[in-house]
Amino acid sequence: MSRTLRAAVLVALAAVVVSVPACGNKNKGGGDRITIGVVTNCTDPFWDLCEAGAKKAGKDFDVDVLFRQPEGLDVAKQMPIVEAFVQQGVKGIAISVINPKGQKKDLTRIAAEVPLLTMDNDADADTGRLAYVGVDNAEAGRAVGRLVKKALPNGGTIGMFIGSDVSANGTARTQGVLDELATPDANGKAETRKLNGKDVPGKLYGKYFLVDGEAKTDGGPEKNPQQYPHAMLGRLEGVPDVCLIGLYAYNPPAILSAVRSKELIGKVKIVGFDENPVTLKAVAAGEIEGTVVQDPYNYGYKSVEILAAVARGDKSKLPTKSMAYQVVTKDGAPDQTINGLAIKFPKAADYEVTIKAQFASIGK
Amino acid sequence: MTRILGVLGLLVALYAVLLESNPAAGSLRNLIYVGNNQGRYGLVTLGAALVIIVGGIDLSIGSVVGCAAVLFGVLMKQGVHPVAAVGWVLLFGVCVGLVNGLLVTRVRLQPFLVTLCGMFVFRGAARMIGGAVDTPSVLEAHPEYAGALDALTAVLIGKNEKGVLVFPAMFALLLLAAAAVGFFLHRTAYGRYWYAIGHNELAAKYAGVNVNRQRTAVYVTCSALAALGGVLLLLNDSTISSDTAGAGLELYAILGAVLGGCSLRGGEGTAVGMVLGAMVLPVLETLVSFRGLKNDVIPAVIGLTLLLGTVTDELIRRRSRVSR
Repeated sequence: MSRTLRAAVLVALAAVVVSVPACGNKNKGGGDRITIGVVTNCTDPFWDLCEAGAKKAGKDFDVDVLFRQPEGLDVAKQMPIVEAFVQQGVKGIAISVINPKGQKKDLTRIAAEVPLLTMDNDADADTGRLAYVGVDNAEAGRAVGRLVKKALPNGGTIGMFIGSDVSANGTARTQGVLDELATPDANGKAETRKLNGKDVPGKLYGKYFLVDGEAKTDGGPEKNPQQYPHAMLGRLEGVPDVCLIGLYAYNPPAILSAVRSKELIGKVKIVGFDENPVTLKAVAAGEIEGTVVQDPYNYGYKSVEILAAVARGDKSKLPTKSMAYQVVTKDGAPDQTINGLAIKFPKAADYEVTIKAQFASIGK
Repeated sequence: MTRILGVLGLLVALYAVLLESNPAAGSLRNLIYVGNNQGRYGLVTLGAALVIIVGGIDLSIGSVVGCAAVLFGVLMKQGVHPVAAVGWVLLFGVCVGLVNGLLVTRVRLQPFLVTLCGMFVFRGAARMIGGAVDTPSVLEAHPEYAGALDALTAVLIGKNEKGVLVFPAMFALLLLAAAAVGFFLHRTAYGRYWYAIGHNELAAKYAGVNVNRQRTAVYVTCSALAALGGVLLLLNDSTISSDTAGAGLELYAILGAVLGGCSLRGGEGTAVGMVLGAMVLPVLETLVSFRGLKNDVIPAVIGLTLLLGTVTDELIRRRSRVSR
């Protein structure tokens, strides 16, 4: 028996010792080096760009960066990571909040222990978080609305797709689009239209009829997000002046693939959000009208820069206003100041080069 | 005894590597935190393991956990007192188990198929009854429940009203449940029936065991534990989304059961083994966090470690069979 016991322990130990510590850097919490933890809300290439920025800032400001992307917009997967950050003694945490209301209690508790920064998705200010690093999503949503207006100047039928309608960025972004479309007309009037022979319920925002009167939520990139635009296109067969809007990074590629599979490229307009490589390529090719980007690389970079400074006692770097979004279109446009923000309008092809370099910096 | 040596070794090794990885890993606070996660996994693992012992499988566990969590939140929002809501949710679990059990035993459908369908049905049901549920919204609608919710959270989760984890109540709950399962499994005739059914259903039947009733009882236990898991999920995280809550948990539960010495062929498994098996994954998850592993390698590292643990376990068992 003792031989089997010994064998068991030895083999198991070997298994673990071989597989676990081989990769990854060991972080002795008590050491002199400052460690900053960054946790996202899901797994996505968007966050790879953020990771690239965070790693670069780690090098520039001489701190270790732990960067984690938990699966699928799940608080139960995100919070254990934050908890582990706290317990291994990181000197600052940046988090993209999944549900500001539901996570408030935990975030308040954590902000009392470790400098906490929200990025991409804000928490309530009274959680005690230091600051929010990210764009004003309502403003960015308005930029999406302007792209829709440009694509369908005479109005039309729109479908909207997003991962979640409970996150702060989701609700603000959606509302921003609708506010812009409704300007200057009244908004949100319920209406039923006969489309493709069937009565379709929806809401009217200015000259734009939003199918089902809401953004369709899909729960995350793992949940086959293509099925929703695919189904929508089926319902809108033969309907003129249709524009589909994707508001999370993976939505525009999902819409694009659905539109392609129905051979409707050019007939159905697409407006996107974020800088997924597929989205950028399609913008450059003229298949997508344009996309509003947040510059996640900078989210990562700024978050680590700020938290590193705070860890060294310098609070001067805390941002006082939201970051500026950018609007990427095929041909680009000169910079403009919109609602007090200096907005850039880069060309898709140029922006693609920037993004590629950022991906390359973390070996992707 | 040999059945649990492999998993015990794996667990000891994982704890050793975890404690070595960071001074804070050995802190009481961290150990309590890990223990509580183990409790949450463990409760559903017990149910999955019992089903496996009688030669079945339950793939609906994760969806039942999610659906139960959403149901718990929605009931409270509708004005059902939190304690009563827990009762209703457990009753929901019992009903799910009853349906699963009856479909498997009376309609004679494959457990794999029945519970696979259940996996979709209850995920869908969760989405239908509510998208995202959180306790702050419940309290907005019913501020009078604050005391009851805090008390439930303190008793079942071990968190105080500020959300600070002070006692691993979920782990304690696991130990209690495991003691009960162990008592039935190892000290009563029911346990012998269950092993007998798993080993050879026909023989058990001819020996006078009411196979259908015993099987159904086991499915009911499994789903009721999953429903309890849902209650714990919402109390612990205070916010859940019907899309993701409990997703994939059935696989973790089955894995824990198998690591703990249950054979997927049925008829084998111990209560101690189930607890140890369920304890592995939370330690491993904490370990990858403390080690600061890169995201891309984490799933592979977890999978490989578990695979090696299972291989070790199997080798030991074969060896002990030969030496016997």
